[in-house]
Amino acid sequence: MLRLIAKRLAGMAAIIFALTAVIFLLQKISPLDPVHAMLGGNASKAAIAQQRHALGLDRPILSQFWHYLGGLLHGDFGTSYRTRRPVGSDLGFFVPATLELAFYGLLFAIVLAVLLAFGTTLNWPGARLLRVVLLAGASTPAFLLAIGAIIIFYQHLGWLPATGRTDLTNAPDGPTGLLTLDGLLNGRLDVTVDAFKHLILPGLAVAAGPAVSIGRVLRSSLIGEMQSGYAKTARAKGLTEGRVLRGHVLRNSLGPALSMTGLQVGLMFAGVLVIEEIFSWPGIGQYTAQSIPVADFPAIAGVTLLLGVGYVVINTIVDILQAIADPRINI
Amino acid sequence: MAVVAMPLVFKTRIFDKLAASLLGVVTLIAVLAPVISPYDPLQPAGQPELGPGEGGFLLGTDSIGRDILSRVLSGWESSWFAALAVVASGLIIGGLIGLIAGATGGFVDNTLMRITDGFLALPAPVLAIAVVAALGPSLTHTLVAVAIVWWPFYARIVRGEIRSLAARPHVEAARLAGAGRIRIALRHLLPGAVPAAITTASLDIGNLILTLAGLSFLGLGQPAPAAELGADSARNLSYLLQQWWIPVMPGLAVAVLALIANLAGDGVRNLLEEEG
Repeated sequence: MLRLIAKRLAGMAAIIFALTAVIFLLQKISPLDPVHAMLGGNASKAAIAQQRHALGLDRPILSQFWHYLGGLLHGDFGTSYRTRRPVGSDLGFFVPATLELAFYGLLFAIVLAVLLAFGTTLNWPGARLLRVVLLAGASTPAFLLAIGAIIIFYQHLGWLPATGRTDLTNAPDGPTGLLTLDGLLNGRLDVTVDAFKHLILPGLAVAAGPAVSIGRVLRSSLIGEMQSGYAKTARAKGLTEGRVLRGHVLRNSLGPALSMTGLQVGLMFAGVLVIEEIFSWPGIGQYTAQSIPVADFPAIAGVTLLLGVGYVVINTIVDILQAIADPRINI
Repeated sequence: MAVVAMPLVFKTRIFDKLAASLLGVVTLIAVLAPVISPYDPLQPAGQPELGPGEGGFLLGTDSIGRDILSRVLSGWESSWFAALAVVASGLIIGGLIGLIAGATGGFVDNTLMRITDGFLALPAPVLAIAVVAALGPSLTHTLVAVAIVWWPFYARIVRGEIRSLAARPHVEAARLAGAGRIRIALRHLLPGAVPAAITTASLDIGNLILTLAGLSFLGLGQPAPAAELGADSARNLSYLLQQWWIPVMPGLAVAVLALIANLAGDGVRNLLEEEG
């Protein structure tokens, strides 16, 4: 097990290194000159040369990359052309909102996927309907689901809020920045409840696509395992279908669904960027959406690195979890 | 038993053929979009903010009076061909790399597959955003960016097929008959990998339509007056609560397109699997 973990961690480090190299190369081939972007079009030649030297752009490319890598390790993502602030601190400001949305999106996706897979395997009443709804959902762009949900649940039914993270003006802003958690930590249950209500619509809009993909994989491995010899034995002992599924089949079916979950996280990050714009969610998506039109490369590079590293780390954890769930992988 | 099963098989094949032929229907609509659009998608054609059906505008008009149906058709055209272009490039680049890796084996195979796995280990849509940001926003750059991150999937599948084919007797026979490496790769290995690659590609079109619509929604597409499904929805979000059809119709068009692509992909897969 330790050997497997070490191997996975080494692979993770290699991929993160490759990602930073790709981002650095993109910056180099970009036709946008960072010095021009910083100083504007009217800067004097001397000022440009000075800035170039200050940024280290007159050094050999490998030395620049080394410098860039060192900066990243110290949390220095460069300076945004748009906000003129360090990208690192900009990201620090926007990350908690995105993290909370992504976490609940993943949670909703897993719950929906399990309902879909269990329901269709055990033939629950209503499972067919759920399946049709989710299959239609898989062909629907997340932004259409989001605006449809706003029309139905906010405009017509008035059940749920549609913008921002909370309606409360005195919500605590620490210690974690995750409102549902901060509410609990500060003994403010009203904050947690209000923040959760704000999370339901965007969370479900983010979750729908991944839920279908994960649910399909889980369903097909559940159905396969339900026909295996040990499941027949369990049935012959007199266990109900539900007990066979939960007690015997589930653990052996988790592997493929787990790796699908890891892969779906990447799509979910892209979904979060879109959904945040619709729900006026003050997170990385808004930051990205504002950076794209003005070609603020350092900001977008920061977002890409952050999401890319997050994705790689999550998939490494999934790999290790898979080995724990199914010891046969540990060879 | 066989008597009961026969009509069922017959029926599903008809459905699969119908589903697969949807690919052609959509392509035809996309090609004819400029001809069948009732109005110019870029010019105001009537009163602004007319609801669906009002004043003879089937899907209504937008905030400056442009016909939404014409804009949706025009956006449909660009979405469809964009998705096909990326799938084609994925097939060609990924197929070529998969073929080289699978047919050569050894060091080349290892190196190419390591690179492929590296790409697969990164979130493709997010990486595409960074590529577009570096090149500057435009539809061409978005397509290039998505194509760059999309091929590894195809490389994996083609390489897997090629490796399993390489161990088959007909390849051994060809080698003993003195066929060269390139001849074996092109005549004896490549044709066997085609069905799997085509199946993957046809199931992938729907994914790409959704991904490209999402990127267009974020502003990574054509600039303002051009009709683009994702961007048209994003730019008109402020009308959502009063004139819902302005942002909703382009989104619905994406959903219809993706649904058709998914149905057609299922059809193609069923047909190819039955033959194989």
